[in-house]
Formats: sequence, C-alpha cells, structure tokens
Amino acid sequence: MKFWDIKEIIKAAYDTLQGFLVTLKYYFSPAVTYQYPKEKKPIAERFRGVLAFHPEICISCEMCVRVCPSDVISMAWQRNEATKKKDLLWFQIDYAKCNVCRLCEEVCPTKIKSIHHTIEYEMVFEKREDFLVRWGPSTADTVTGGAKSQDWYPFTAAGRKEANQTKKPGKEVAA
Amino acid sequence: MNYLEGLAQKEMLRAQSWRRSAVWLAGLILLGIAGASLVGELEPKLSGMAKFLQDISIQKGWPVWIPAAFFIFIPPAVLLGIMMGLPMFVVWWERKVAAHTQVRLGPMEVGGWHGWAQVMADGIKLFLKEIIEPDGIDKWVFRLAPFVVFIPAYLSFAPLPFGKGLVVLNLDTGVLFLMAVSGLSTVGILMAGWGSANKYSLLGGLRGAAQVVSYEIPRFLSCVPVVMWVGSLSLTRISAAQSGFLWGWLPRWFIFYPVVGQISFAIYLITTIAETNRVPFDVPEAESELVCGFHTEYGGMMFAFFFLAEYSYVFAGSLLGAVLFLGGGAPLFSFLGFIPSWAWLLGKTFLLVFVFLLARWTLPRLRVDRIMDLCWKVFLEWTFVVILAMGFVILWRVK
Repeated sequence: MKFWDIKEIIKAAYDTLQGFLVTLKYYFSPAVTYQYPKEKKPIAERFRGVLAFHPEICISCEMCVRVCPSDVISMAWQRNEATKKKDLLWFQIDYAKCNVCRLCEEVCPTKIKSIHHTIEYEMVFEKREDFLVRWGPSTADTVTGGAKSQDWYPFTAAGRKEANQTKKPGKEVAA
Repeated sequence: MNYLEGLAQKEMLRAQSWRRSAVWLAGLILLGIAGASLVGELEPKLSGMAKFLQDISIQKGWPVWIPAAFFIFIPPAVLLGIMMGLPMFVVWWERKVAAHTQVRLGPMEVGGWHGWAQVMADGIKLFLKEIIEPDGIDKWVFRLAPFVVFIPAYLSFAPLPFGKGLVVLNLDTGVLFLMAVSGLSTVGILMAGWGSANKYSLLGGLRGAAQVVSYEIPRFLSCVPVVMWVGSLSLTRISAAQSGFLWGWLPRWFIFYPVVGQISFAIYLITTIAETNRVPFDVPEAESELVCGFHTEYGGMMFAFFFLAEYSYVFAGSLLGAVLFLGGGAPLFSFLGFIPSWAWLLGKTFLLVFVFLLARWTLPRLRVDRIMDLCWKVFLEWTFVVILAMGFVILWRVK
C-alpha cells in the first residue's frame, strides 16, 4: 500500500461511497416485513394449514386412515342395521404427528370433503395430550365407542373455540 | 380476501408508508426547527439564572460557597444526564438504522410508538441481572475495567461545547485534553482483556490497545490543521472562528476549505470510527472471531458501562467533528440564522452519528494487519501532507 497512489485512494473512496449509496437506498425503502400479531400475511388458497374434520359428512370409509403416512388419523365405526350404513363412533387426529401432506384430503371420497386442510396456521397446544383432538363422545371407550346421543367435539384448532374460522364446514374442492 | 389481493394491498400500504414517513420526517424536522427557534439561544437564559442566584444569595446573606457550589455541581450533573440519555437514544437509533437498512422495522412494540421504550426496558433488565465473575480472574482488574473505560468517556465531554457559550469547562487546551483523556480508555480495554482470564478477551484487549493507540496519532494530527488555522486549541474559539460567510454565501466551515479541509475531515471521520472500535474497525470485539472480544465475560451493569462508553464516544466524536470541521453552531445559509446555535450543532452531530451508524451496516470488517497498514502507511502520511500544506498557506497569509 503506497500512500501517494492517489488513483488507488480515489477508487477505494468511490467504492465505499457506492456501498453507502446502496445501503441508503435500502434505508429509505419501506419494510417488507409483516408486524405479525397485528398484521397477517395473506395466505395462498391452497395453503395446507390445520386439518379440519366434519363428522356429519364422514361416511366412515377409513380411506384417510389407510393413506396417512404418519398414522395420524384413527377412527371407529358401527354398522347401523336400520339404514345399512356405517355410523361414526369417534374420530381422532394426532396433530403432533401430522406432516401436513394433504393425502387424506385427496383420498376422501365424499363430494364435500369431510377431512381437509384449512388456511389456519396458528396451532398452539399447551400440553402433549392436547395434540390428540377427538371428535366423538367425550367419555367413551376408545374401542367400542359410546352412545351416539352424546355431545360431539366441535372442531377447534389448538383445542380452543375458534372465532375466526375462515373455512366453514363443507369446503368444496375443485378437481 | 384473495391471496393476490392481499399481496396487492400490502404493496399499496408499503407505497403509502413511504409517503407517510417522508411527511413524518419533514414534520419532525420542521417541528424541531420551530421549537428550537422558539426556545432561542440558551446562553443568555443560563447566565440570567446564574445572576439571579447570585443576587438572591447576596440579598439573603447566604455564604459565598452556596452559589459557587451550584456552579460546580450542576453542570457536571447535567452532563451526566446527557451522557446517560443520549447513548440510549443512539442505541435505539442504531437498532432502527440497522433494521431499515435491512428493509425491516426493528423494535416496534415496547412503549407503543416505534418501540421507543425498548432501550429503557433493556436497561432495567441489565440493572437487575446478576454480575457473574468467572473463575481464575484477576479480581480487581476485572472489576475496575468498566469504570476505567467509562470515566474518561464522561470526562471527554467536559470541554465540548453544546452551542454558543454552553460549555462545562472552557479549557484553552480543549482538543488536547479531549484526545488525551479519550486515549485513557485503552487502559480499561486492556484491563478487561487481561482480567477476564479468557483467551478471546485477551486477544481482543491486545488488538484494541494496538488499534486505539495507533489511530490516536492520525486522529489528533488530522485536527492539527484546524488548530493551526485558528491559532487556538480552545473548542469554543475554534467554533467561533468558523462562523460567518465567505463572499456572502460560502460558510467558513473548515470542511469547505479547498483540499485541506476535505482530506483532514475524511481522515478524522475514519479514524474516529476506528477509535470507537466500531464496524468496520471492530477487531477488538469481532464477534465472528473473538466471541465478544474484551467484554466477553462481562454481564449486567458491567457490560452496560462498556456499552455506554462506546456510544458516548460515538457521540463525543461526532460532536468534536461537528465543532472542528462543520462549523460548530454556525448556520449553513445566512437566512437560517434564526435557528439557535445549539440546534445547529446537535443537527450536525446527529448527521455524523448517522454516518457512523450507517457505516456499521455498510462496510465489512477489515483485517487486523490491513487496519494497521491503513493507519501507519496511509493516514499518517496524509496528515503530514495536510499539515505541511496548511503551514505553507499560513506562511502565505502572514506574508
């Protein structure tokens, strides 16, 4: 490094100044970030969020149970002799294991999908047991199930009542 | 809301925020100017207060030491307040500059408006933290080091003028005092590095000592042309000498002196960044190499003292740069003379602080040997050249 090399010094000063101009340009450009709890990023239509299940549509065909790669879904049903149809006893999703692959939704044979992904992504559980969300009689034997007349769990993301559920039951999926 | 619609809406909001922030900035500057010119020059008010106090003490027959004690204790207390408050603002500003350079927003939650209370919350956290002393340290060296760094930083504010007549200690040797005292902090850095019983700290301390001691020389020599031209080391006289206009429009700031002013200002700015151990010259605390350098082992308030010292040096260096090269409290245009001198000085200081902060987020860290090369093989020679040129100019003026 020679101090009398003015050409070199001018070049260095020019380069530094260019760097400053770049940072200044970005300094005055508006932020691209979202202030998350106040402001939410728009979600794409086909975003795979929290799984939702609608027991009134389900025909208990067990397709989703078989296709699920992570053994997330489990269910029990009972043949109704009067209507010759399967009655759902209980249905359970283990959100801890779900890898959000949409296979269960693709395979679901009902016209209005009874199991599908929502665009909800705020899924928080406080305990490990909360990850197991169950539709069906609350106090039931897991194998035989309880009586149909008992209350069914409504779908809640994170095990809480969801006020701003964006997708109402009966999401129609285009082919 | 559709996905694409949502993105378009965000884009629109971004475009609006551009305009909104421009209006905010202009409004804040105008409000500052209006407020400052409403307050006016502070010196006559302060001297009026002093006179009032003296009159009262004579009337009531108080002993002489009571007003004297006021004049001895109040200005340092105000200085301490400034020194505690301004670094906090600079830290907040630094985080904002960092965020906006990286196209994000920075602290936005604490305190409501743009996270203004974030630094205070951090300060409370640092106060409440336990100070952990590692095994095998040199106890007294370790404990004293933050104060050895901090006290010179506080003392270096003493001869600095904050406007016309606003100076705590009107020293005739202001520049010399400032340079001498701020050099003492090196001892603290070395003590911290040695006392921590940590190889990273020791390396950081040694690097810091080498760097600060060598950059002291071109830094002081870059101020010498100003001192030569004015013929005084007193900072108040230097800032007073730069008021007025050449040919009625060019302000007599030292930076506008052809060639000499610009070169010495550039050297002063770069060496001051090196002197305060900030990026791109932050080898003493290079976090990617040395964890945190000389303050690796410090936590809580001990760390806060290092932090406060660094940011007050940034502020003191900017203030000195504004006084020496940017004309002190002198206005840029004669029609802006209604703005008081302290507002001008603060404005120029914050402009330089902004350059400091932006440099941190623009330039990558230099290698240690290149930093030394830059100091000894480039800056030192150029300061000599500038001093020589200034000497010839003065000879010509005398003739």
